[in-house]
Amino acid sequence: MQKHEVVVVGAGLAGQRAALAAIQAGRDVALVSKLHPLRSHSGAAQGGINAAVGAEDSVDTHIYDTVKGSDYLGDQDAIEFFCRAAGPTVVEMEHFGTIFNRGADGSLARRPFGGAGFPRTIYAADRTGLALLQALWERLGTEQFTTYEEWDVTNLIVREGAVQGLVAFDRRSGEFAEIGAKAVVLATGPFGRVYGRTTNAHSCTGDGVAAAYSVGASLKDMEFVQFHPTALMESGILITEGARGEGGILKNGVGERFMTKYAPHVLDLASRDVVSRAIVTEVLEGRGFPGDYVHLELMHLGRERIESRLQEICDFARNFAGIDPVTQPIPVYPAQHYMMGGIGTDIHGATNLRGLFAAGEAACVSIHGANRLGGNSLLETLVFGKEAGIAAAAFASTAPAPALQESDLDRSVTPLRAWSSRSDGEDPTALRTEMQRVMDRYVGIYRTEGDLLEGVRRIRELRKRFERVRVVDQSPVYNLNLTDALEVGHMLELAEVIVVGAYARTESRGAHARRDYPTRDDVHWMKHTVATRTPEGPQLSYAPVAYTRWEPKERVY
Amino acid sequence: MSEATVKATFDVYRFDPVRDAGPRYDRYVLDLPPHTPVLTALLQVRADLDPSLTLRYSCRSAICGSCAMQINSKSRLACEAPIGPELARDGRIVVEPMRNQPVLRDLVVDQEPFWREYRRIEPHLILDPRHPMPEGTANPMTPAEVDRFKETPRCIACAACYSACPAVEADPAFPGPMALAKLYRFVVDPRDQGQQDRLVKIQTDGLWLCLRCHLCTEACPKDVRPSERIRDLKELAIAAQGATEPGSRHALAFKENIRERGQLNEMKLARQTAGLPGLVTQVPQGIRIWRKKPELLHAPHPIEGADQVEKIYEALDDGKTKEDAP
Repeated sequence: MQKHEVVVVGAGLAGQRAALAAIQAGRDVALVSKLHPLRSHSGAAQGGINAAVGAEDSVDTHIYDTVKGSDYLGDQDAIEFFCRAAGPTVVEMEHFGTIFNRGADGSLARRPFGGAGFPRTIYAADRTGLALLQALWERLGTEQFTTYEEWDVTNLIVREGAVQGLVAFDRRSGEFAEIGAKAVVLATGPFGRVYGRTTNAHSCTGDGVAAAYSVGASLKDMEFVQFHPTALMESGILITEGARGEGGILKNGVGERFMTKYAPHVLDLASRDVVSRAIVTEVLEGRGFPGDYVHLELMHLGRERIESRLQEICDFARNFAGIDPVTQPIPVYPAQHYMMGGIGTDIHGATNLRGLFAAGEAACVSIHGANRLGGNSLLETLVFGKEAGIAAAAFASTAPAPALQESDLDRSVTPLRAWSSRSDGEDPTALRTEMQRVMDRYVGIYRTEGDLLEGVRRIRELRKRFERVRVVDQSPVYNLNLTDALEVGHMLELAEVIVVGAYARTESRGAHARRDYPTRDDVHWMKHTVATRTPEGPQLSYAPVAYTRWEPKERVY
Repeated sequence: MSEATVKATFDVYRFDPVRDAGPRYDRYVLDLPPHTPVLTALLQVRADLDPSLTLRYSCRSAICGSCAMQINSKSRLACEAPIGPELARDGRIVVEPMRNQPVLRDLVVDQEPFWREYRRIEPHLILDPRHPMPEGTANPMTPAEVDRFKETPRCIACAACYSACPAVEADPAFPGPMALAKLYRFVVDPRDQGQQDRLVKIQTDGLWLCLRCHLCTEACPKDVRPSERIRDLKELAIAAQGATEPGSRHALAFKENIRERGQLNEMKLARQTAGLPGLVTQVPQGIRIWRKKPELLHAPHPIEGADQVEKIYEALDDGKTKEDAP
């Protein structure tokens, strides 16, 4: 059995930043990830990272924009903490070696982004996530720590409400091992793959969130799912909001710049939930292009600007859609993009279980409330990754040695062995496809009671079928069939929480749009959804939203 | 947006070290639209035909660097290699694991050789406590300084270049294209305080082992153009330290040789590259050349118009000065 003081699961920006903080606090740290850290989905973030560093901008404006963007569901104390940390965080990443775009005077260049009152999104072309991920990994490489690369975590070990470590297997050998820990930080990112149409990577399956939920951690605001307005029509590949930040415009099938109707002041740079609903409405009302999509036009920006500032998406459009954005409009339609919900934490990443911390998209602090602003998620990974790392290190410095037993390993491994020994059963990839169809069809941008009820019924049916999941591949080496089964089990669990939360919330707020309850209901619903696992399904309770200075107002862009 | 499908035949390399004595190729035939990426096709094989087919993949949008493999003998990202052109050219699609890295199973290779070289060039800012970073604010960096990185920040560490590189295959001392392109990225970083040391170190640590075949640049899905960055490193290294290595002396001797007479003088080239003592070790090869191609050992005859070469050199030097001017 391996033992460490702090074990970080997930090696994207949040996990790496947590690891760095815990190492700097003097702890023995291990980083466990199913991908090589440089392959993490943080690297796919395109547009930028928000920080009010310009003389004309102010932290207060960033706070206000984030509160408003959250549709007043974000905790204002957490948002204040978050926005104040932005400047130092970006400077630190620049000192670590991040190559940002620059203004003529040598300062960090900034571009406009949706829902922001000022151009405050600092960027590295349209690959800001990759730039940050490289710099952080290269900085982390100068420290001493253990990595468990391409290991899948199966479950957490909790004794008397305190985390003792986890069980995982090495893909390379197929061997299971207990990894003891005084503190665990979960930074496993999103679970966008519960949807079929998503910008998320195949690896975004919520393993850490599901593991936490299954041992009693509560999940918060899971029904709030962000759909990015502009994903490539066929593949769902992301086209950054930076494309509109640089001046790109949306047009419908009859050539209208339709955002004039939905957001007369800021047009195409309204908040993401607003733009996504606008696109869906245009298509549903018959003003889409045949095949149901709209156009994102960049042609008027000119070749030089498109190819220098939007280099990656130029390649994406050319390689994945056969479209040259310099001369042709890009066919786009919304796709699932970001999970506002996650493991409930405070601003230090602490969960309701002792020794368990979470950060990044896997967590819900909550700063994004009902809708996240573009440019705030990269910032979130670094700000709260660091906080969680510091808190986990402090916890570990006084915690007793982890109490793991041989039987923990057996108990964890036995069900997985049963999957492989069945001669007949359910195919995990088929279950995954069916789950994705259910979520796309019944739990999308616009929701109704009837659809959500049907969604709950179908997801529960799939969960039942999952009990008989079968792993056909019998090899111990890189058994992706086993990983598929593990992941779809995790996702079905989380899909149920999303649907149940969405069914219960009888209002429309941010990204949660109910056709049958089209308005925000501050009297009954200005509260966080908290889901706890029971054998019968998620049990919902509600928690108050923290307010400091900003009274809820109608949200107009 | 629907379009006609084509019959696509895939011959996929399969090997499980635990159960197979040796590798084999499994054939899968699918009906797919021609713009389907190879990755999508392989995932369809996993979902519908054979869940034991093993490969690395994640983002499916050419940004995570997971799915590099040999597709009809070229190192490519499977997610951005459409099947249509492959079928049109070769009639089928042969999918194999990357080269220069041991196979773990099917299309999954052990990338440790690649990562080891990456770590060896010290891929992080080297700082000097005498020049601390500005407190509380970003280092200033002009757009022109950002341009000096060229396309190296786009590298996704997919290892397609490493797989395509014959120098890696021939000589374990060669760091490979990605590591050298990464080294270039740090050498031109105005924040890095280790530039001189890096250049001196790499001169004796594999820089001159590049074969200049440019297969890395052809393979790179992100247009990082590693071979051109290796060329840049060579120029920077000579500028920093002079021509201290056989490789750098050879390069300079080659340049001067051509400049003088418009053609190579092999004897002079060998002498300038190896030095007189080094030349002694080349005597056996000299004897072989003398037997087979004695004319190579003679000084070349003057050729007509050789003086034009000098003008070309002058024009190139002139252009270089202009390019380097701030």
